[in-house]
Amino acid sequence: MIKKFIHQFASPKTYLFQVERAYKLILYFSIAVYIGSLIWGLLFTQEDFVQGNSYRIIYLHVPASFLSQSLYMSMAVASFVYLVWRVKLAAYLVISIAPIGAMTTFIALTSGSIWGIPTWGTWWQWDARITSTLILFIMYLGLISLHSSFSNYERADKLLSWLVIVGAINIPIIKKSVDWWSTLHQPASITLTNKPAIDPSMLYPLLGSIIGFFGIIISLVIISSKYQILLREKNKSWIKEYV
Amino acid sequence: MFDFAFNSFHEAIYMNGHGIYVWTVVAIVMICLIYFFMRYNLKIKKFKKKFNESD
Repeated sequence: MIKKFIHQFASPKTYLFQVERAYKLILYFSIAVYIGSLIWGLLFTQEDFVQGNSYRIIYLHVPASFLSQSLYMSMAVASFVYLVWRVKLAAYLVISIAPIGAMTTFIALTSGSIWGIPTWGTWWQWDARITSTLILFIMYLGLISLHSSFSNYERADKLLSWLVIVGAINIPIIKKSVDWWSTLHQPASITLTNKPAIDPSMLYPLLGSIIGFFGIIISLVIISSKYQILLREKNKSWIKEYV
Repeated sequence: MFDFAFNSFHEAIYMNGHGIYVWTVVAIVMICLIYFFMRYNLKIKKFKKKFNESD
């Protein structure tokens, strides 16, 4: 039953026509929320008592860090779906998400390094959080180059899916690194179980920037997967109808 | 909550010496996002052009 449901709604054709409608709506709404939240956070919240104005990097750093890990987890879920139910769309999504995941991880690393200069006095430290995030970035790059080195897409998809699932072990390590080891990086300010360790006047624009950035990244995944589908399904008759 | 945090536009740019860090990160994020959107839109446009030519 699950297999029938997945195959019915996850055909590349259905997906392409469905997301085409949602794409612009998600994109414009997310841009408005993201830009609005950034203006609010960068210009209308008060200076932090300890970090001064440098804390405002939080509105760019946290959404990117959150998305870099979430994108990898979504790749792992898509890989699992591909390996178990042989859903082609899932394999297309895995390789579509990888460059965007690499970009968000790059943003998380560079923004963190720049933030480190005024707050820690150094732009780099081999501590657990930063090192595990660097490993995530290298993993993204490795997966992209590995996939492009194959001429047989099916073999590439299968190998990539296995590697993504194995590599998912790094995500809880990144998440828990600040609790398991003594790190320079501060613990999470927002958790699902505890009260946020951040003032509401700073928290609301942060939540807005996370939601807005999330939507922008979803839009990016949509056009990236759209390109992947066009490329891989170009010999199918329905592509003519779409193009 | 919605009061402008600075006394002037110049102060908002300078941010007591932290402006260079904050605005550099803003620039990096914007450049990355715009580059990726342009890259994929261009790829799709090129594909459609090639596809229609070969048709």
